[in-house]
Amino acid sequence: MSEPMLSVRDLEVTYHTQGGPVPALRGVNLDLERGGSLGLAGESGCGKSTLAGAILRLLPAGTEVEGQVTLDGRDVLTLNPGGLRAVRWTSGAIVFQGALHALNPVRTVGDQIAEPMLVHKTARNEKQARARTESLLERVGLPGHRADDYPHQLSGGQRQRVLIAMALACDPLLLIADEPTTALDLMVQAQVLALLSELKEERDLTLMFITHDLSVLTYACQRLAIMYAGRIVEEGPGWEVFEDASHPYTQGLAAAFPTIGDMSSRLAPSGLGGDPPTPGNLPEGCPFHPRCPLARAACTVEEPALRSSGHERRAACILV
Amino acid sequence: MTITSLAMQRRRATAGRLWKQFRSSREGMIGLAVLVVFALMALAAPLLADVRELNPVFARGQGNPQWAPPSEFGPLGTDYIRRSVWAQFVWGSRVSLFVGLAASVLTIFIGSVVGIISGFVGGKTDALLMRITEWFLVIPFLPLAIVLASILGRSVWNIIFVIGVTSWPSTARLVRSQVLTVKQRLFVDRARSLGAGGWHIVSRHILPNVSGLILANATLAVPISILTETTLSFLGLGDPSSASWGKTLEEAFVNGAMIRNAWWYFLPAGIGILIVVLAFTLIGRTLEELANPRLSRDR
Amino acid sequence: MGRKALGSALTFVFVLVFNFFLFRIVQKDPIGSLFRGRNVPQETIDNLRTAFGLDEPVLTQFFYYVRETLQGNLGISYQSRQPVWNEIVTAIPETLVLIGVSAILSALIGTVLGIAAAWRRNTWKDHTITSGTMVFYSMPDFWLGMLLLVGLAVVFPVFPVGGIVDAGSNATGVDRLLDQLHHLFLPALTLTLAYLGEYALITRSSLLDVMGEDYLVVARAKGLRDKVVRRRHAVPNALLPVVTLAAINFGFVLSGAIAVEAVYSWPGLGKATADAIRGPDLPMLQGLFLVFSAAVIFFNLVADLTYAYLDPRVEDS
Repeated sequence: MSEPMLSVRDLEVTYHTQGGPVPALRGVNLDLERGGSLGLAGESGCGKSTLAGAILRLLPAGTEVEGQVTLDGRDVLTLNPGGLRAVRWTSGAIVFQGALHALNPVRTVGDQIAEPMLVHKTARNEKQARARTESLLERVGLPGHRADDYPHQLSGGQRQRVLIAMALACDPLLLIADEPTTALDLMVQAQVLALLSELKEERDLTLMFITHDLSVLTYACQRLAIMYAGRIVEEGPGWEVFEDASHPYTQGLAAAFPTIGDMSSRLAPSGLGGDPPTPGNLPEGCPFHPRCPLARAACTVEEPALRSSGHERRAACILV
Repeated sequence: MTITSLAMQRRRATAGRLWKQFRSSREGMIGLAVLVVFALMALAAPLLADVRELNPVFARGQGNPQWAPPSEFGPLGTDYIRRSVWAQFVWGSRVSLFVGLAASVLTIFIGSVVGIISGFVGGKTDALLMRITEWFLVIPFLPLAIVLASILGRSVWNIIFVIGVTSWPSTARLVRSQVLTVKQRLFVDRARSLGAGGWHIVSRHILPNVSGLILANATLAVPISILTETTLSFLGLGDPSSASWGKTLEEAFVNGAMIRNAWWYFLPAGIGILIVVLAFTLIGRTLEELANPRLSRDR
Repeated sequence: MGRKALGSALTFVFVLVFNFFLFRIVQKDPIGSLFRGRNVPQETIDNLRTAFGLDEPVLTQFFYYVRETLQGNLGISYQSRQPVWNEIVTAIPETLVLIGVSAILSALIGTVLGIAAAWRRNTWKDHTITSGTMVFYSMPDFWLGMLLLVGLAVVFPVFPVGGIVDAGSNATGVDRLLDQLHHLFLPALTLTLAYLGEYALITRSSLLDVMGEDYLVVARAKGLRDKVVRRRHAVPNALLPVVTLAAINFGFVLSGAIAVEAVYSWPGLGKATADAIRGPDLPMLQGLFLVFSAAVIFFNLVADLTYAYLDPRVEDS
């Protein structure tokens, strides 16, 4: 078996804010096989976006990062600035959430797509970059001439497609999609998901898909990892985790979101009350216990480690 | 506990919290400290310097030397007609501070009234008032002040009036947009549906939410007023009978203090203005941050 | 664009009306003032009054005013007995030179400082720049002029004390130009220092706003160097409000330099204003006020158009 595309070991990330240090990731371990797809789910504040940022070292200056992140055989966290810049976008690229703010409002979308090609010299000159930009736009379903448009001239769905095209500009090996369907209506969501699926097959991409909407993940991902309070609390094959969750949190999440196209799931009761804990202020023991319908006394004492809960499955709960 | 005293308690608590927040800002506290010092100096003027020293006849009678540096005649020497510069500094602070404050009060008052009416009433009144505001904004401030001062004559009250009448537009705009924001909030609608009249809404709901902004703006308006008064006095439009810092600088300039390098004559007044303006700016910026916190940004 | 120009024209009309009626209140008897202290027969005065249309109703006089103004006739200066227009026209280039040089320098230096301060936020560099510029911005500009004058023209007589050329100088050509530049230095330095603070603070503020934006993270994610991210993505967005400020400022700096010109006896509009105040030379003041207002209106229009040109988000109508 070849080595994984992405390998994360004991990753800890602590932000330094005005209110003191905030532990956003508290020991994350995961592997992503080449050509595989992993869905990463959790509510806001669980650390999933931090994880995405940590992989390419895009976290704010002054953030403490410990552990190991190996991408395509290279330890990203120890690369020198030049090496890091070379790896960005060519080994791993991010599809950001398509709000107006991910694109520079005063430059054309074509410019912004072509930019990494010219920086990394994957296009020989501007003409070639332009040609590639147009073909990328067409691949994601937009006419090539829209390259001359400014971001505010595009709809939300169109901007999301631009961000996908942009992420593919340097033919990355790993594609991280960070909440790419949030704030889009359901029809467009489905289209974007289908597009990502197709692209993955065509280009043999390794895909990491981050969202808070569990039902979206089951569509596109072989494996699923659920995050809570800075750690992975469950992990396993996609459909299994969704249909037959081991961890109470996953059960709650799965019940909260209707599956696209499945009308009956809309009628099922939602399972999660309360709010996720703030990263600087975690409860004693298992951080989920205040909201857990199955909590018992032992849950307030010690945080459970990930343990096997089935074939190629793990969950961090004492009930497993 | 009645409803009103509950509201009062809450307001007092908010005020206390705001003060605590203000206290934590080093800039704000420095500004406040400086201001207090100058305010005390202005108030204690009679104790610090004999007001008769401002009278050239008196000064001559005292046998003061002309153009004397501080080494000869303390603490700040004398000017071209033998008057004590220290006396001018101390008594001048009164005029400069007073005019600065009074002019800002007038500016803020006019600006707030226009802004609140404009924002609250809306419609044609709003459109008309905003047109007028825009026109005033376009007219260059200093020339207008000069023209008005030339026409109205040289007195302290005219200067205050002129500054107030030329500076209100930016306040009006700011207040108006804040009023519009507040108006959109639900509780104003609720108050209306409860049958509350316009005045009630304005005083109970709009004013408290706008007053923070107005206060910050007022504090920042004072430096502008002081600098304007200084400039107007320097150009000869000041009150001939008062001894503002701007007047001191004018007399220094006109009578050749620079050629003589009589630094004790033109330095103190300018430094005084600089420090007071800085103090108000620091306080104003701190208040602004408190009224409009920008959480993602360090200053 | 046509709509904006129309708006500006309307504002100018308002200024004309304002100007006319403002001075009407004061100039109760212009002819009488003109011959103040001189022994002129009443008949002559009456005839002149008729000739100038001063016995006509106010509205008619207003129309005369507008007509004359648009033809460039702004009246006669009380002090110099010369046409106001001539005096103003001679003074405009001098002020333009001074303002132009100062505005460009303060905009350039101020913006650079602002960018440096924002990029190194909260370091000593940032604090020095912010505090330093705030200090300059808080002092009366003419006082700064006085200090520089004493420092560099009296104590260390490197520069001349005032005027635009050495008195009694017959120099021509390059020599004359050098002499003028020599005289220009101190007043330009004064204005530059006084105004660069505003540019620095606004640029810094604007850049800090931009720095929180996601597209900068995206740019770094693409593998761009820090400097390139700043230059290509952050700064252009941050500069939009600064450009508008610069254009608007130009109109206001014109009148803001009044006191500084007075300090240095720089023969521009500012000095003319300062001299006119001492009269008071009301026709001059009226004419100058018109010119200052027109300048502000004009540069506001320029600012509007420039911003619309630079920001693709502004729709062309």
